[in-house]
Amino acid sequence: MAQIKDRYAIVGVGESERSKNSGTTPLHLALDAARAAIQDAGLEAKDIDGFMSYSENDSCTSHQLATYLGVRPKYVKDIMGGGSSTEMLIADAIGLIETGQVNTVLIYRSMNGRSGVRMGGGGWDVNMLQSAIDGGSFIIPYGAGGPAQWFGLFATRHMHETGLTQEHLGHVCVSFYEHAQRNPKAYFYGKPLTMEQYKETPYLSYPFNKHDFCLESDEANAIIVTSAERAKDCQSRPVYIMGIAARQCVSHSHYWSDLTEVAADYVADDVYKKAGVKPEDLDVASIYDCYSWVVLRQLEAYGIAPRGEVGDFVAAGNLRLGGKLPSNTAGGMLSEGYTHGMNNVLEIVRQIRHEYKGTDRQVENCEIGLCTGWAGPDIAGAMILRN
Amino acid sequence: MDYQKPIPLKNQDNHPYWDAADRRELLIQKCESCQHYSHPPGPACAKCGSTELSWENLGSEVKGTVYSFIVSYRPFLPGFQDDPPLVIATVELEKAPQVKLIANVLDCNPEEVNIGMNVKMTWQDIKEGRALPQWIPA
Repeated sequence: MAQIKDRYAIVGVGESERSKNSGTTPLHLALDAARAAIQDAGLEAKDIDGFMSYSENDSCTSHQLATYLGVRPKYVKDIMGGGSSTEMLIADAIGLIETGQVNTVLIYRSMNGRSGVRMGGGGWDVNMLQSAIDGGSFIIPYGAGGPAQWFGLFATRHMHETGLTQEHLGHVCVSFYEHAQRNPKAYFYGKPLTMEQYKETPYLSYPFNKHDFCLESDEANAIIVTSAERAKDCQSRPVYIMGIAARQCVSHSHYWSDLTEVAADYVADDVYKKAGVKPEDLDVASIYDCYSWVVLRQLEAYGIAPRGEVGDFVAAGNLRLGGKLPSNTAGGMLSEGYTHGMNNVLEIVRQIRHEYKGTDRQVENCEIGLCTGWAGPDIAGAMILRN
Repeated sequence: MDYQKPIPLKNQDNHPYWDAADRRELLIQKCESCQHYSHPPGPACAKCGSTELSWENLGSEVKGTVYSFIVSYRPFLPGFQDDPPLVIATVELEKAPQVKLIANVLDCNPEEVNIGMNVKMTWQDIKEGRALPQWIPA
């Protein structure tokens, strides 16, 4: 097997404007994000010969994007998928570059996540859901219609077994909202959250209140991946991929028969082994945060804090700047914006580049970072990046 | 008034389960190769991939304990607008602890639901010839 450690890099990142009502199409948003990423890398559109996207049938195609960038690429691919798709597509891009199919790949996620198709429900046909999702007829008739409920069943059990409390969920929210206060582009910029406010917020779907849910936003994000060799010709400081675990699965989706394991448990060993690092080597993290609890469960899965001690870890402020592992430093999906994880990738790239140097937003000694993706308890991927 | 909530859709993989529910019985799919229960039922065993599947009849006296639960304070699907707060629970079956079965817990104060709580199965009549397995406090 070819060793890919440090031989590929993320050389460009970019985003469109972020709003709750873009008033435009996913194609326009994708073009804005792609142009920003291409400019960031110091490339021209014609240098990109592969385009990939993931969506929930709520985006434009890679072919459309390439067309309106005036490019004739060698490769386009659009997959269905949410969280952990970024990691998987980066792994796919590396495979394609390694085999000489393409040189440089742009990966994007574009969505009108608030004004268009909303993940959090609204207008879904219930019989379509019963048929479309695995075991659908065993959950939809009971009102379990969204990830808050499906993941919530994991959360209640896990919290019971490990002693996690609502306040521990709150520490994740409060930490990430605090990061958003340093990020003028965050949706919750200027809207800090105190623990008191968090605890006074009524449950939306126990054990979660609205702060435990991610945002819905209209935006597009893009990243550019190429070989370390070509990265030298880019104007940006390359962020090298030390190791990547594309995507691992456990049985079933939506109706999980086993609440004791999540796919991230298997991804962790794989990604650390490939990168040759240990949890204590990490300086920064982007942890997929569609719900606050998902962060806590991943801290356990990725060995950042031992099972049973994750609550103490977050209560001690370790996810905050100055903590042991500053995480989701732009505010994450809980308080910055939501593109099924890609906004967290943009942020960790910028941190590892030291792009915020000289400001209170830069994580100190920021050399190695972990970025995780979580499509659900059943599907996860991750990568470890370095300066 | 007509039942407004989704009615379980039967298909080639799950119909023995729902047909049994309509008779107020619980049938659980089981793998003859690895002896694991297979729930939710599917075209093959999710543990080993075998298609040697059978159905075990657990009858009409079904007991269990709450393994996990959530309480929904907002309807996330059409038809549930009058239900919140709605308890959705994963229940461990007494006779087959490997099986964790999701349903609502009815006839109880949501704030009194807890992990380990004893429940028993009931069947809610939802339309002519159709019944939905549910849990109530035991």
